[in-house]
Amino acid sequence: MAKLPLEGIRVIDFSWIINGPQTALWLAAMGAEVIKVESKVYLDYMRVSPAAMADDIPGPNRSGVFHNLAFGKKSVNLNLATPKGRALAYELVKRSDFVLECFPAPHTRKLGLTYEQLKAVKADIILVSISLLGKTGLQPSDWVGWGPMAASYVGMFDAQGYPGGPPRQTGGTWPDYAIATAVVFHALAALRHRDRTGEGQWIDASMGETIIGEMPEWFMDYFMNGRDRRQLGNRDDVMAPHNTYPCNGDDKWIAIAVGTDGEWNALCAVMESPAWTKHPAYATQPGRWKNSAEIDAHLSQWTRLHDHLELANKLQAAGVPAGPVLDSVEVHQDTHLWQWGYWWNLEHHEAGKRVLPGLPVKFSAVPGFNLSSPPDLGQHNREIFGGLLGLGDEEIAKLMDEKIIY
Amino acid sequence: MKPLDDLRVIEFAEMVSGPMCGKLFADMGAEVIKLEPPRTGDEARHHPPFPGDVPHPEKSGLFLYLNTGKKSVTLDVRQTAGAEILRRLIADADVLIENQRPGHLESLGFGYQALHALNPKLIVTSVTPFGQNGPYRDWKGTDLIEWAMSLTGYNTPTLVDDAEKENPLRAPGHPAEMMGATTAAAATMLALRHRDLTGEGQWLDVPCWQSTLNTAKVEMAAYSYKGVPFSRLRARSGAGLEPLACRNGFVYTLWTVDAHFEALKELLGHPELIEGDLFKTMKGRADNDDVIRTTIQAALLNYDMDDLVSRGQALGLPIGAVYTVAHAAEDEHLKARGAFVEIDHPATGRLRYPGALVRLSATPAEFSRAPMLSEHTDEILGRRLGYKPLDLRALRTAGVI
Repeated sequence: MAKLPLEGIRVIDFSWIINGPQTALWLAAMGAEVIKVESKVYLDYMRVSPAAMADDIPGPNRSGVFHNLAFGKKSVNLNLATPKGRALAYELVKRSDFVLECFPAPHTRKLGLTYEQLKAVKADIILVSISLLGKTGLQPSDWVGWGPMAASYVGMFDAQGYPGGPPRQTGGTWPDYAIATAVVFHALAALRHRDRTGEGQWIDASMGETIIGEMPEWFMDYFMNGRDRRQLGNRDDVMAPHNTYPCNGDDKWIAIAVGTDGEWNALCAVMESPAWTKHPAYATQPGRWKNSAEIDAHLSQWTRLHDHLELANKLQAAGVPAGPVLDSVEVHQDTHLWQWGYWWNLEHHEAGKRVLPGLPVKFSAVPGFNLSSPPDLGQHNREIFGGLLGLGDEEIAKLMDEKIIY
Repeated sequence: MKPLDDLRVIEFAEMVSGPMCGKLFADMGAEVIKLEPPRTGDEARHHPPFPGDVPHPEKSGLFLYLNTGKKSVTLDVRQTAGAEILRRLIADADVLIENQRPGHLESLGFGYQALHALNPKLIVTSVTPFGQNGPYRDWKGTDLIEWAMSLTGYNTPTLVDDAEKENPLRAPGHPAEMMGATTAAAATMLALRHRDLTGEGQWLDVPCWQSTLNTAKVEMAAYSYKGVPFSRLRARSGAGLEPLACRNGFVYTLWTVDAHFEALKELLGHPELIEGDLFKTMKGRADNDDVIRTTIQAALLNYDMDDLVSRGQALGLPIGAVYTVAHAAEDEHLKARGAFVEIDHPATGRLRYPGALVRLSATPAEFSRAPMLSEHTDEILGRRLGYKPLDLRALRTAGVI
């Protein structure tokens, strides 16, 4: 079997919750040895979150969210609040290519994980720091916070809502995932730079900055026109109708996005051309765009009568861009996702058989991903402290007693 | 020396997903040659915002942002002479980024097998709505559709009170296409490493929908591990987070773990209604979220945004202000970080733009302006590929370039 592209690369991962772990997941799945350093002093929130405990029974190795973010990795325990724990952490850093951390800046300083400190331990280290608003700059660089606070700060939630309404939250913890894939790209660029020049560096990633760069329409409109766009619902800059419409059933919806006259005519044909569609203003894209509220009201009356899955199929068959708003049950049943190869089956010693998403990419020349079981808390203590650092069994036992390996 | 300055990328892509991926490569130093349809160019050239709301193909804020640092070559690859030019460009490229609908390249004679034969080391990065196989392969996707189908789309906005009135919303901009773009960029770097180690090129299938669905891990796992369907409705989802009103605006905070709940109580002067034992554990708080939320919401209205944020952060509470885009664009911290950059362009003059998605200390992204339509056709075809002025004139007359 061919090698995975990151085999031979070692990552010491101090990160937790979502953004750092999702970044490290990419590296682990593609062959890097990712050593997750965690502690019983303060467990990774995703190990304890009640959101997805297998069969609703709590336990640090039973969390589905953790499993989704940690397959392919190794886990060791270190109590970084102790000097010995930090010294052992530095021993790991000496033997690695990347370090990942996503603590608030004051904690990073306290734990000895700043770039200056780690560079002194290993000169060509690539340190990936992920934070709310970056670790340099003014006072917010010291803030504690979660992804959604970054979105709040840079205007995303104010722009997320119904016209004239209050700010709303974008689904889940969008900024954490948004920054993770962006960081993977930049971390691999930094690795390429190190391999060419021998120079390491500090990636000081700000969730706020990733979000800013991913909503350019809002910022460029402000920079060009001084306009604060704020909430636009589902209104597009060009397409109309362009919205989610109610369907038959409980909280069922369909998204329809019409760009061209051809797509509009096809939509009208599927509706069997009711009288309202013949309005002369609706014959052109600018006319439809100006009258989109009216069109939406008519369209909703029609979509309401239909099943969202059937209607999406019917509209697509007629050449109309449409898609069902899928819920968590429907995505697991979706034929396309299974055929494309989105899911994989985990057989876990505590959680049993579960379905997890892989990486959302197909590589034609990479044999597969590292899908080893998500690690139990401290599962690799002996392998890493014994094998990699060369500590004897007695020494490891002593460090466990002293709550250093803890 | 920039990390990717030895790479040549051909971008055969329009709008957001492929071009954003190409931008990341250009900003890190790669030579990105953007192929555009003659005359009209990339569709994004016709998308708002425009200065003064006057459409102009060199002034679209969306296009100017997505295409920093690239070279523009116009090319009609449906014509024999255009296909020949593409073949020659492909022959010494490292990466081809494309977001044509599945099968389109093949119909032009540039399916993966043909590309591989032309250049076995080439990495072909195909960014599409749904991917290169499966029943939705030929569906028409747009950003709204990819997003709405992604579970994160179903869950936006979060915590819905009235399902009839609050339909699922797209996030501002092109969120699903952006997620496809960064996923494609990350995957392309992995494929480049594979190529550098083995000499072997490959084909990457990057769907925007699956990339976006990958951001709904909590919602997916709740079903797969507990068998509980995820609901966006407040009445069914229980605890959750959202912006909360204060006296002069909104703040965002959370009270999941013990330390944060204690800090929040301290910040709000210990409201009596949430002091009991009932609220001492994470589970207790989740079960009684309605009481906590109502109490906290009422208390927040007594305080101003900046006061809550500065005192709350000093107490170790994750709490932040909810700003508008205009406020963020003038924010001193973001400015001090270099979150925005200034770029000059002949058509618009100097403007601020969003800066790098991610900041690197030794090799930061560097930005130069987006190209005018066909600006580099003569340079690439003439100087690079050796077409004579007479050839170029003939290609122009025939509408190939």
